Amino acid sequence: MGCLAIEPQPERRYKLNLFLKGVRLCIFFGLILVSAGCLSGMFLVFYLATDLPKLPFPLSRIIETPSTQVFASNGQMLITLGERKTIPLNLVSQDFINAILATEDHRFFEHHGINKLRTLKGLYITLIKKGRVQGASTITQQLAKNLFFSFEKTYTRKFKELLVALQIESSNTKQEILHAYINQIHFGAGAQGVEKAARVFFGKSALDLNLPEAALLAGLPKSPTNYNPYRYYDRALKRRDIVLKRMEQVGLITDLEAQQAMLIKPELHRNQSDSRTGSYFLDALINELIQKYGEDVVYHGGIKVFSTIDTRLQSYAKQSIKNGLERLDAMIGIKPEDLDRPQGALVSIDTGSGAVKAIVGGRNYYKSEFNRAMKSRRQTGSGFKPFLYYAAFKELGFHPATVMTDQPVTIPVKGVEDWEPQNFNKTFLGDMILKKALTHSVNTIAAQIVENVGPGAVTSVAKSCGIQSPLKDVYSIALGTSNVTPFEMASAYTVFATLGVLHEPFLIWRVEDAFGRVIFEHFVQERRVLDPTITYQIVDMMKSVIESGSGRSVRKLGFTRPAAGKTGTTNSYNDAWFTGFTPTLCTSVWTGFDKNKKLIDMNNAGITGGKSAAPIWTDFTMKALKSDPERDFPIPGDIRFEAVETTTGCNPEEGNESVEVLTVPLKSEQTLCMDEEQ
Amino acid sequence: MIRQWYEPQNFSEWLRRTFSYLNIAVIILTAIFVFSEFRFDWFENLVGSYLSSTNKLRPETGAIWEAGKQTSNAHEYLNQIISKKEDSRQNVHEATTFFDLASNLLPGDWVTLEKYQFKTLYLTLEKSVALKIIEPAQLIWILNGSSLDRIFCEGITGGIKIYFIDSENRVIRQLELKKEDIFEIEHGIDPITGNLSDMEGFQGRVYPAKKFFDAIFKLPSDIIPDLMVNPEILLKQDGKMINIGIWNEVENGYIKLGFEFEEADGKKIIFIKGREWAVWQLSLNLKGDTN
Repeated sequence: MGCLAIEPQPERRYKLNLFLKGVRLCIFFGLILVSAGCLSGMFLVFYLATDLPKLPFPLSRIIETPSTQVFASNGQMLITLGERKTIPLNLVSQDFINAILATEDHRFFEHHGINKLRTLKGLYITLIKKGRVQGASTITQQLAKNLFFSFEKTYTRKFKELLVALQIESSNTKQEILHAYINQIHFGAGAQGVEKAARVFFGKSALDLNLPEAALLAGLPKSPTNYNPYRYYDRALKRRDIVLKRMEQVGLITDLEAQQAMLIKPELHRNQSDSRTGSYFLDALINELIQKYGEDVVYHGGIKVFSTIDTRLQSYAKQSIKNGLERLDAMIGIKPEDLDRPQGALVSIDTGSGAVKAIVGGRNYYKSEFNRAMKSRRQTGSGFKPFLYYAAFKELGFHPATVMTDQPVTIPVKGVEDWEPQNFNKTFLGDMILKKALTHSVNTIAAQIVENVGPGAVTSVAKSCGIQSPLKDVYSIALGTSNVTPFEMASAYTVFATLGVLHEPFLIWRVEDAFGRVIFEHFVQERRVLDPTITYQIVDMMKSVIESGSGRSVRKLGFTRPAAGKTGTTNSYNDAWFTGFTPTLCTSVWTGFDKNKKLIDMNNAGITGGKSAAPIWTDFTMKALKSDPERDFPIPGDIRFEAVETTTGCNPEEGNESVEVLTVPLKSEQTLCMDEEQ
Repeated sequence: MIRQWYEPQNFSEWLRRTFSYLNIAVIILTAIFVFSEFRFDWFENLVGSYLSSTNKLRPETGAIWEAGKQTSNAHEYLNQIISKKEDSRQNVHEATTFFDLASNLLPGDWVTLEKYQFKTLYLTLEKSVALKIIEPAQLIWILNGSSLDRIFCEGITGGIKIYFIDSENRVIRQLELKKEDIFEIEHGIDPITGNLSDMEGFQGRVYPAKKFFDAIFKLPSDIIPDLMVNPEILLKQDGKMINIGIWNEVENGYIKLGFEFEEADGKKIIFIKGREWAVWQLSLNLKGDTN
């Protein structure tokens, strides 16, 4: 028995068969594909799992890094290094959490580590549409990538990242994941974690971020450099607006709220334009620490560093440099729009210990981190003459009343042209005692002295005072043609301030580990390097520089304390210095252009150290010593004072008031011209 | 029984075969498989749980572990410094002589020395040799009269440096002691076997013991302690003293004296030091030129 079937037409039947064949094939092929996919997926999971990084538990452990703290000499904390300030979610503005979720992963609370549809879409675009790459990473995947993987773009890395994301989801709550994410995410400008970012960019805590600020911050992680608001504010704002629109699209804010937020331009925190140290002193100190202990200890060791810096003096130093350079800008006639501006540097050292109290390495740290105070070697000009005079007193038995003649000088130099040094004012004053010669910085006399004593003796004195830069044994060393740093000059002049005792300059008093155990301590050691009596004679002559010589602007500006110093100006007016000291504080100031450019005022006259650097020194030292008792330099026991005529070096005749007289300190065995004649 | 596969002959056969119970079951199962994954994320959970179970076995690699390693490296380095210091302190605490102190501090190591500890070490020395470390009067002033806060001891190559430091971390006084000098101060120069007359430095200056001591006794009594600043080394010897030699060089204000002893197993030379001027006075006596 059979049943009747209506047989379709042969051609139709053939087509139907073909169709059904196709359906079957598709089903079986699909099944095979699914099975193969499952099998290869499992294989990959098992294969790659052994090589995956271990996950720390709890996840928050990843952001616990002890911070190194640097303190000033008065105990004030200056900076923390390697700090990662983590905060719980309830101390983060809800606007920021909403903004970051809307931007990075609005389905964060729904998925288990992967947003499958977004991933498929991303895969489709990346594989099919050439030249386009669609990201589909969830917050968990981003966390996995940031914590464990490099930024190389490979499918293996991507798959591993995905697996780690699955594990993170499996072993942590969504709150824990979000907490870890917002505390480790990079916002640029050295800010890692939302709290630090809020402090760096807006000078407030993460809890206090309002919607426009929160949206701006949430837009940064996509490309922290390109959207850095300090550099590209408008670009960062456009990105912020995209974040706000996205928040509106996913229903986290209303259209009105978005529009209102878009109208607001968040004000950036100006005092800290990024998370660099902001201090030349701290840069120098960190470099020293790294050399001593290595980067790991400095940035991850949680050490406590007690530095020598005096925050009060440092603040005065910055202010004095700022004011002084603005004055110099005006003298030169620099307009606000000019980019090429003169620079300045200042180093101040406690003469009694060698502790560095203040360092300013340039006019604006954020515009140039180059520390001119410690790294820029410049010619000192006449600033080197005290070393020359000391060498002459020591080696040739000269003294402040020794008479020499200011006259044209030609010194033959082997193998090169004769040296013919000139005075700054191109005039010659004839006979004069050495005290006057140093006071007025007479170059021809300095040249004659160096010819007598030899350049080797001068470099030897400079080196014994702590100058470490290479010095050339050439006659012109007498006029400061060797390059040294302001730090070295300040340090070397402290030897004059202490009448010949050298204290090594230092930046760090003590270093402790996280438990307060001392791992380094600086001990102040004294080393006598110069004869105290001769040094006193030099100091007396340098006092005269301030009283009536090339540094008299110090007194004109109202500085009344006992002080000594020396100006220095190079022949080309490229460098203008003033290094001076009181019995307790020695400070060196340099001014000049970074490039090979002269300091010339608007009348086309060269600017000397007395005009540019000495006022900065005066401004700083007056403020720095404001509350200190006034002290004079101690007089060695074998010193006697004599009044002498500046041209003859002899005691002045009584009643003759027409001659210029100076008081000079002499050692007991030293004689004046009259004594010699007798 | 094996059934031979044949191609469906008609449409209904095709339909029947395509939508067979087995196929429909497979399709439904597959669909359930796929859709349940989308709905319940069981695959992610499964893989996540599996990976969590193998977490302990996996390596600590990746950026965050590297940062962690930097922290542990830093701690390890700091702990090394501290434990080295602790070891030094322990060793120094146990030191009973300056030589022990110098032997226990390696170059670069440093430790703070208590005042009483320095005093104890100093007082263990014979009075005559203690002054070679530091004059007693100076030490009394530093320990009892000055603003001394701490004594800091630092190991250097071949010895130690001792700093007396005030409360402002200023060095009041600094001593640099070479290990061999300390040993020499504490124990005298190592004895050697042999004859004085064979030693070049003593040639022409070797005297019989009787003549030497006769010359000593002619000296004013206040000179004799300076001539033999550490006589206890000689008093410890058992043999018979036969010859004494005077070295031909001065070292830091002292002249080495060699005492030749005859012992059961041969001759032995013991060295001590005498102050230069006292030895010079003695030499005059020995030469008979007392004027």
